[in-house]
Amino acid sequence: MLRKVSIALICMAHSAMADQAIVGRFLDEHALPAFDQLDRSAANLAEVSATHCDGQSPELLAAYGQAFDAWVGVSHIRVGPSEEEDRAFALAFWPDTKGFTAKSLNALIKAADPVVYEPEGFASISIAARGFYALEFLLFDAGLQDAETATYRCDLVRAIAHEIHQNAAAIKWGWQGYQDVLRVPSADGPYKDDTEALREVFKALHTGLQFTSDARLGRPLGTFERPRPRRAEAWRSERSARHVQLALVASYELALMLAADEPLITQSLQAAYDRTIELVEQIDDPAFAGVADPSGRFRVEVLRQAVDRIREIVTLELAPALGVTAGFNSLDGD
Amino acid sequence: MKLVTSSVAFILASTSAFAGGHASQEAVLANYANIAEAKYADSLATAKVLQAAVATLADKPSAENLEAAKKAWLAARVPYQQTEVFRFGNAIVDDWEGKVNAWPLDEGLIDYVDAAYGGATDENAVAVLNVIANPMFELGGTTVDATMITPALLEETLQEADGVEANVATGYHAIEFLLWGQDLNGHGAGAGARPWTDYAAGDDCTGGNCDRRAEYLIAATDLLVSDLDWMVAQWAEAGAARAELLADQNAGIVAMLTGMGSLSYGEQAGERMRLGLMLNDPEEEHDCFSDNTHNSHYYDGLGVQNVYFGAYTRIDGTVVSGPSLSNLVMAKDAALDAEMKGKLFTTMKALGAIKTAAEAGFAYDQMLERGNDAGEALVMGGVTGLIDQTKTIERVVTALELENIAFEGSDSLDNPTAVFN
Repeated sequence: MLRKVSIALICMAHSAMADQAIVGRFLDEHALPAFDQLDRSAANLAEVSATHCDGQSPELLAAYGQAFDAWVGVSHIRVGPSEEEDRAFALAFWPDTKGFTAKSLNALIKAADPVVYEPEGFASISIAARGFYALEFLLFDAGLQDAETATYRCDLVRAIAHEIHQNAAAIKWGWQGYQDVLRVPSADGPYKDDTEALREVFKALHTGLQFTSDARLGRPLGTFERPRPRRAEAWRSERSARHVQLALVASYELALMLAADEPLITQSLQAAYDRTIELVEQIDDPAFAGVADPSGRFRVEVLRQAVDRIREIVTLELAPALGVTAGFNSLDGD
Repeated sequence: MKLVTSSVAFILASTSAFAGGHASQEAVLANYANIAEAKYADSLATAKVLQAAVATLADKPSAENLEAAKKAWLAARVPYQQTEVFRFGNAIVDDWEGKVNAWPLDEGLIDYVDAAYGGATDENAVAVLNVIANPMFELGGTTVDATMITPALLEETLQEADGVEANVATGYHAIEFLLWGQDLNGHGAGAGARPWTDYAAGDDCTGGNCDRRAEYLIAATDLLVSDLDWMVAQWAEAGAARAELLADQNAGIVAMLTGMGSLSYGEQAGERMRLGLMLNDPEEEHDCFSDNTHNSHYYDGLGVQNVYFGAYTRIDGTVVSGPSLSNLVMAKDAALDAEMKGKLFTTMKALGAIKTAAEAGFAYDQMLERGNDAGEALVMGGVTGLIDQTKTIERVVTALELENIAFEGSDSLDNPTAVFN
């Protein structure tokens, strides 16, 4: 039944005016406020780190948590200002399949590399030693808490926090200009018409869900024979399940905007998202450590299936209704 | 640069023969399959030359024979890299590809490594297993007898051992490591410098276990030859890859474009080029032991280009060409065809600039160094070109009205064929 309806809608083709309205709402009610929030919380993190740089400090941990939350809320919007100057990569280098973060941080600490005192120089070091995931490693990894290096680590925390804020601010300001590129497509711009702009917005939804399924859930799950709890996102700070939840909430908001003209698709999205968010909220295993035992694993598997159900609706129903395809994204490849 | 301009001229000449816009999808697909067959056949032929050179090295170890084997490896990469564009669209190629070209690798699995390499990691418990030095070892709770190093041991036991992708035991990069050794020059110029005496007999042997090292090298090369042989057959007249491609013409054209777009963006621009730059890590280059990354990138890009133009120059100089995607696009939207061509040329020019600089002595790993602005600009030129051409590939999908065909960006959904149209 559902399928027949969406086929009919393809034939009608989504109108340019409707495309424009969706892009406008995406900017005004989703992306711009979220990047504002990231900038504000990152500014607070940098400020707090000036007076609290110890990994045990509740003030620092709270500020860190809020800023990281804000990042997860925009992590699916990988376009324009986020991609310029490698900003988003520098904010969030994960997954780290070859242990680059540990290696780069250890090298800095071992050499007491003075690059932490030069903001401009620091912005050009490996992305593995910058951003939220490097800060997590620095604050939470048990192997790094050596008293001898405490002073340098403190300066490193400040340098990372400061650079996070710089990037967050640069992205926010970048969107002031880039929003018009999406709002008013032009033949010689990155988006030739409203459909191309709409496709970019759709891609944020599509790629974000793929990342949640494949990386946030798929990596710790591994295989039944070989689960990989240590591959969970931010397991050291026990934020793994929280990130899935935050990503889903942001994704839900965007999905409803994209489906605004499609009541039936909206209904199935609501059902699928509500169920998935309920599932993640029921998981009492913040770092997905339980993937290694059968019952814990089952819960995470069911959660991943629920996310994949959302992806199915998005790809098979929403995309044709909007007249777009997902095209290519940065997760292609191996 | 000369290379780039001459191929431009050639391609313009070759496509004009079909410029009438009458190319059928079927003819375009057949030409694509012919090109795939020719590229894999060329890869096989050059791998056999490598196999012979490796046999000579094992038989009569010498500095000259090690150099000859390295030269054969470098030559073998030229046709192979041009096949990478077939990966993402064709399941048969994608499922097989890890055997021959998996990367990056934790090379300590295979042979001795420098102390700075480190030990086992969170991700990989056998990162420093060193099979060449250890005829018996534990792997995932069982004892493995590796007294004989055979293709079967490499393929069935060591490849992706413990489910870790970085445990690469087979293919071009394992062979590359055995020929060059680790590149310990950091961001300085120079490739790996394995001494030929790593293959010498008796007391001259350096690095220990020279006979086992030669045994490994021979096994890995034999396996590469047999794997390539298998893939040539898949693209032959009755081959499975060709049959699958031709089974549904629309899906076949989508496969062509998927290969172009996924290789350009996620794989080459992202994973292989931009990531290395952002990590400032000299080992994050695709051919890190041999310092051949500039060629690796260049021929990947050329592979994308020759799928669009439907023309491939073989290793003996003969040309396989015919009706192309370009012809199909031109018939629908000549401006879009011009845009696609322009972007492909821009990318090749940028990849050519990296190659030229590297050949003149500015090694790819130097380009990745922290604070090396000129290197960053060179690499980013390639990245930008590749990302930009992907946008136009998406427009081509739209122009050819393929949007409602199963468009598998990557391993996106478990059941991508369920897309209705």
